[in-house]
Amino acid sequence: MSVSVQQKKICMLGGFSVGKTSLVKRYVESVFSETYLTTVGVKIDKKTVTLGDKTVHLILWDLAGEDDMASLRMSYMRGSAGYVLVADGTRSATLEVALSLRKRVEAEYGPLPFALLINKNDLREQWTITDDDLEKLRTDGWWVRTSSARTGEGVEDAFTDLATRVAR
Amino acid sequence: MTTGSAQFPAQVTERLRELVFAGRAVAWLEVDDTQTLIGAGGDLAPYGLAGLNLGVAVTEQVHILEGLLPIAESPYFMPEVEIVKGRAADLHFWTEGASGGEGGGSTWVALVEVTTQRDLTQRLQQKAYDMTLLQEKEAAFNRQLEAANAALVAAQRELEASRDELAAWNKTLEERVAAQVGEIERMNKMKRFLAPSIAELLVSSGDESILKRHRRDIAALFCDLRGFTAFSESAEPEEVSELLQDYHAALVPLIQSFEGTLDRFVGDGLMVFFNDPVPCPDSAERAVRLAVAMREAIAALSSAWRKRGHQVGFGIGIAQGFATLGQIGFEGRFDYSAIGTVVNTAARLCENAADGQIFVTSRIAVAVSEVAELAEIGMLPVKGLSRPLAVSNVVGLKDGEQKVVWLNRQTR
Repeated sequence: MSVSVQQKKICMLGGFSVGKTSLVKRYVESVFSETYLTTVGVKIDKKTVTLGDKTVHLILWDLAGEDDMASLRMSYMRGSAGYVLVADGTRSATLEVALSLRKRVEAEYGPLPFALLINKNDLREQWTITDDDLEKLRTDGWWVRTSSARTGEGVEDAFTDLATRVAR
Repeated sequence: MTTGSAQFPAQVTERLRELVFAGRAVAWLEVDDTQTLIGAGGDLAPYGLAGLNLGVAVTEQVHILEGLLPIAESPYFMPEVEIVKGRAADLHFWTEGASGGEGGGSTWVALVEVTTQRDLTQRLQQKAYDMTLLQEKEAAFNRQLEAANAALVAAQRELEASRDELAAWNKTLEERVAAQVGEIERMNKMKRFLAPSIAELLVSSGDESILKRHRRDIAALFCDLRGFTAFSESAEPEEVSELLQDYHAALVPLIQSFEGTLDRFVGDGLMVFFNDPVPCPDSAERAVRLAVAMREAIAALSSAWRKRGHQVGFGIGIAQGFATLGQIGFEGRFDYSAIGTVVNTAARLCENAADGQIFVTSRIAVAVSEVAELAEIGMLPVKGLSRPLAVSNVVGLKDGEQKVVWLNRQTR
């Protein structure tokens, strides 16, 4: 049986301090740090996944968080096969940021596969994003999951699912 | 092919002349139209790119270029890319030669290290974000505080409402208690001169206007003991007191059962009237029936008194006419009483009645002629009246068991 090897660029997008870097760290290195270190520019990591007879090298571009001061450089998205939108469940405004980013990406690069992760599920009692908000997005056909970089919940599944969708 | 060479091609040297600063890792890659690495040099090792093989697909060796080639526009710039941990570079892309043409063109990639600047920016950005996060937390905390405060205010309002409600309840309760106390007081006041059932009826109606002075047609009944003055002079006070006690105990329940209004009793004298404050259509008949019952009761007592040597008789006078009624007296000592000629007349008739006689005026006699056996006494001069009165004696009742028990006796 021949094994197909592919390499796919995946970008992590979202507001600042939503946990994009932590999710990549959890996914690639299986670790979590409580210390928040903001990302400037972009950090690139690699993770290889096996999907049946396919080996997919995911080149993970962890982009700086979006806010008023540092708007996303769309140039980083060039060549991306898909992307992960991340929002912080405890800050409902970050869901708005994620929705806005998705529009901008789509306007520039067309409809790419993506996953929306509502992170920090370990702080569920502090969430301001409601189940109704998520249900509405799911009704619109979005792939939405909750995740926790701290516990690892939902992380592997999200990347595997996205990898499956971007792999030929 | 060598990497990390100190020598750069002229094209690279010219481009990097403006960009390179001392202390930075600077490297370059050259990629042909087929995205094959055809050249590389400079300080590649810090980016984990040492040992690149020329003639091999570039994305297999330099994964950061995945998806980026061929570049859509030239030059193309990607700033602050952390290729390996802790080392960031600006990536500059540009093409040279006819891309896609015969002999092909090249895409050049220059990696110019910017770790120091990136770290500086990172520190500034970190502070800004930390501050923003702090502000967001503060805002969220303030919102929670406001919500808690609003809840507190709402709870306080609710408490105040409950307190007001409680105060209202208390007030109502106090008013009810005051009303009850007032009712009891009124009841006690009424009970002094009314049959209890009538007193309760009046009190529950809450109408005290009856206590105000007014005129009404009443039947007035006076009774007292014959020979009481002589008896009280000769007897011991205890004997007098005992006799009076028996006397009152026998009469007062009768007055109440006939629903008469007890005006007063002074010693052996006692006055009752009917048709006030509770109206009754048969005031004369009631007065006569009560009188007959009283006579019966005292007759029963008299035999016992006689056995003890007390020679005491009992006489009654009844008259009908208008009187002025209402509360008479002063604060703390009020009586419900009747004043008028009718009262005097009844009293005088009583004075004139001998033991066992019930003297009534002609008006009473006419009113009870159907129910009572009457015996005319004749015209009787009465003290205080200018003309003598036609007086009859009630011998007994026609329909009752009180038959002719008391025969006409001599007036005293």
